[in-house]
Amino acid sequence: MSLAWVRQLPNTAATFIITLFGLICITFFIGRIVPIDPVAAIVGDKAPQEVYDRVYHELGMDKPAIVQFGKYVLKSIRGDFGTSFVTNRPVLQDIIVFFPATLELATVGILIGIFLGIPAGVVAAVWRDRWIDHLIRIVGLVGYSIPFFWLALVCLFVFYAKLDLVGGPGRLDTFFEDIVPTVTGMLIIDALLAGEWEVLVNALYHLLLPGLLLGYISMAYISRMTRSVMLEQLTKEYMITARVKGLGEIHIVFHHALRNAMIPMITVIALTYGYLLEGSVLLETIFAWPGLGNYIASSLLSADMNAVLGGTLLVGTIFIVLNMISDILYRILDPRSR
Amino acid sequence: MRPVVAIDDLNTYYFREQMPTLSETRRDIVLGLFVAPAPAKTPKNTLVIAEAIDDVITLDPHDVGEIGGVLTTNQVYQTLCTYDTANPENIQGVLAEKWSLADDGVTFTFTMRENAVFASGNPVTARDAEYSLHRLVKLKSRSAPIITQFGFTPENINERIKATDDRTLVIKVGEAYAPSFLLYCLSSYPGAIVDSKLVKDHEKDGDMGQAWLKAENSAGSGPYVLSMWKPKEKIVLKRNENYWGAKPAVETVILRHIAESSTQRLMLEKGDIDIANKLGPDELEAMAGNADIRIQQGLSGTIYYMGLNARNEYLAKKEVRQALKHLVDYQGIVETISRGTMEVHQTFLPRGFLGAVDANPFALDPAKAKSLLQQAGVAGEIELGMVVWNVPPYVDFAQAIQATFAQGGIKLNLEMVDGKQWLTRYRNHDLDIWLGLWGPDYPDPHSNAKAFSVNGAFSPDKNDTLADRFGWTNEELSVRAMAAVRERDTAKRHQMYQEIQKDHQQSAPFVYCFQEKRAVAMRNNVTGLVMGAMFADDRYWNTTK
Repeated sequence: MSLAWVRQLPNTAATFIITLFGLICITFFIGRIVPIDPVAAIVGDKAPQEVYDRVYHELGMDKPAIVQFGKYVLKSIRGDFGTSFVTNRPVLQDIIVFFPATLELATVGILIGIFLGIPAGVVAAVWRDRWIDHLIRIVGLVGYSIPFFWLALVCLFVFYAKLDLVGGPGRLDTFFEDIVPTVTGMLIIDALLAGEWEVLVNALYHLLLPGLLLGYISMAYISRMTRSVMLEQLTKEYMITARVKGLGEIHIVFHHALRNAMIPMITVIALTYGYLLEGSVLLETIFAWPGLGNYIASSLLSADMNAVLGGTLLVGTIFIVLNMISDILYRILDPRSR
Repeated sequence: MRPVVAIDDLNTYYFREQMPTLSETRRDIVLGLFVAPAPAKTPKNTLVIAEAIDDVITLDPHDVGEIGGVLTTNQVYQTLCTYDTANPENIQGVLAEKWSLADDGVTFTFTMRENAVFASGNPVTARDAEYSLHRLVKLKSRSAPIITQFGFTPENINERIKATDDRTLVIKVGEAYAPSFLLYCLSSYPGAIVDSKLVKDHEKDGDMGQAWLKAENSAGSGPYVLSMWKPKEKIVLKRNENYWGAKPAVETVILRHIAESSTQRLMLEKGDIDIANKLGPDELEAMAGNADIRIQQGLSGTIYYMGLNARNEYLAKKEVRQALKHLVDYQGIVETISRGTMEVHQTFLPRGFLGAVDANPFALDPAKAKSLLQQAGVAGEIELGMVVWNVPPYVDFAQAIQATFAQGGIKLNLEMVDGKQWLTRYRNHDLDIWLGLWGPDYPDPHSNAKAFSVNGAFSPDKNDTLADRFGWTNEELSVRAMAAVRERDTAKRHQMYQEIQKDHQQSAPFVYCFQEKRAVAMRNNVTGLVMGAMFADDRYWNTTK
């Protein structure tokens, strides 16, 4: 394996920094153009003028926009995204609190998506146009067409309220809250580390439904893409060659076609993961899940610009990093790109 | 279930056994997965309340303003006096035992209750009351106007509010007002009395403890103490074991952030929460037949209204404004859209307040509206814009109003905006019509009378009111409202407000539409919830499960 990808790193790093800088620029200036008065957001509508002026000055809004932007960039480099006026904590700390919840949920979702979606896509490709193919495609189509808000509420109603098969909204039952010390913020890991099995089981019960819903959406997309790339591979010439050589069908499907198909799938999976990590606001609102989506959305509605910018930068960074990783993996796995 | 370790903020350790062996662990995991999970009902000693609390920015009682924040400080702090929610005209002492007014009409003397102590163990003295009221004014917080309207400023407050000894507090107001006026203001949530010794210990750079109280700390004398605040997630209150009064039966109160009303409903039906605060008419109707759920109705002082910007060329004319009052289908909206959560109300004092009057003369009447428009010299169709917050119930009200306006020949353009923009436009009066609500800050008629009918120019504190915001100047009503707040005879005061409202509704640029009827749903084993008439004024300390 050549180290060509290592030599590409400076390029990759430069791209990363430029993209990030562009992201900061756009978010910052959009934040300034939006017709929300952040001072009124803090002091409310009944405050006298002197209170208003005091907060205006505290927020640094009396300085020119360029100065504010410059200060913001410098601070961001140091990891200081300012303080959220709602939570009264540094935004970085808020993110450390809220992001793990989304990370946990998104990871469960993508794993379900991968372990159900890829086999489904393979099956659909290999048995193309048979009933199993149609079934898989219909299930997938429903998955990304159906209004997610509706599906989540209906599932909550059926599986939680009526059938009692899953835990309800929230990450834990009230009884189990605040027992496990926070290490990573992801309850599964923290409960395992603390040895609290009842908490672990309860957390899994609460993760089940939202995780499955996210898994369903990612599965829908992943299975469709897998099917697509698999079909492409299955019709290639080397497949005919392999069959003529006498290799077993299962062997060529998995060992050759699937391995080749996985290379474009890396990008698909990475982007889907990024999309899940952004935090679905609808899901988090319905399931009262204290994650990143909820955090950014409620900060936006409170006009808490530090929090919104911090959260947006995080999401942007995640996408950039995932893209970078998939680029690097591409170069490692695909000999033709070297 | 094996006891587990739980460490709460008061540093209480519960006992736990040895770490389980590997085979025990495997057994537990397997059992756990196949056996039904532990009952999802809330623990017996904990009251879980679902509310939208992601906008709480502080828990400092002198700075608090959001629903979650005020609900919290109402359980943790106490004021000098309060009023009977069933009968708001009846004022009772809490931290003050009794009070008297001197003959000059401006000097009040409060005697503090002797046995009251703070959660910290420090006794509640007049010096704490003095410190608290000074703090409210000196911090220039957004709730300060409730007290400063009596003529207090950071410069004169040390003289005007003084503790002459540990038990006596003297308050000298700027002018002779109705005594009940000051008492109602002091009973409101910004009048919280904090533990001055504790707060001073945590002062930083002369901030009067603001940074400390803004966070997860409390210094109150109420039935509960603040135990935990996870912003945007939950607020946890624990019973005050040093409480000087009857200790609450429920040990822990948790305010959980659950924004979606359907989710609140499902969790309530399953018993995962005990009280749901934010349910819409759909959810309430759906649960009406459920035997496990009880719906408690309460009085709410919130009034929904349309503010007409009198600076607009059409809205400047009185006849046009009156025409608009005949172009809203009040009854229709209440019956079809609000279904039990609103009642028609067309004056500025909510039902249940001193001075409230049952006067709803306006109904949908396009013919009358058109004739009024003609009288005003308005010919043909005119266009007006209305700024609307894009959440229920405003969205539904706005659409209904747009339809009925059209019947009168008025094209109403709806601008649906988010909450912060809605407030910004209202502050800048950058609009024709604003659809919104008003909740009184304290249960005295002056709160609304001042807002809707007194111009800043005629009020001692010179602050802008709603009347000013909407560009309407009316000296006569301003003067009459200020006279009403000074009237010492309660019965006479009551009558004055009634007359003011009747005249006000005939000319003011406010189309009052509805008064809110608050409904809270709870599990039927929860009793003792007291719902206040004011904003976020529910009292949880008498509840049992």
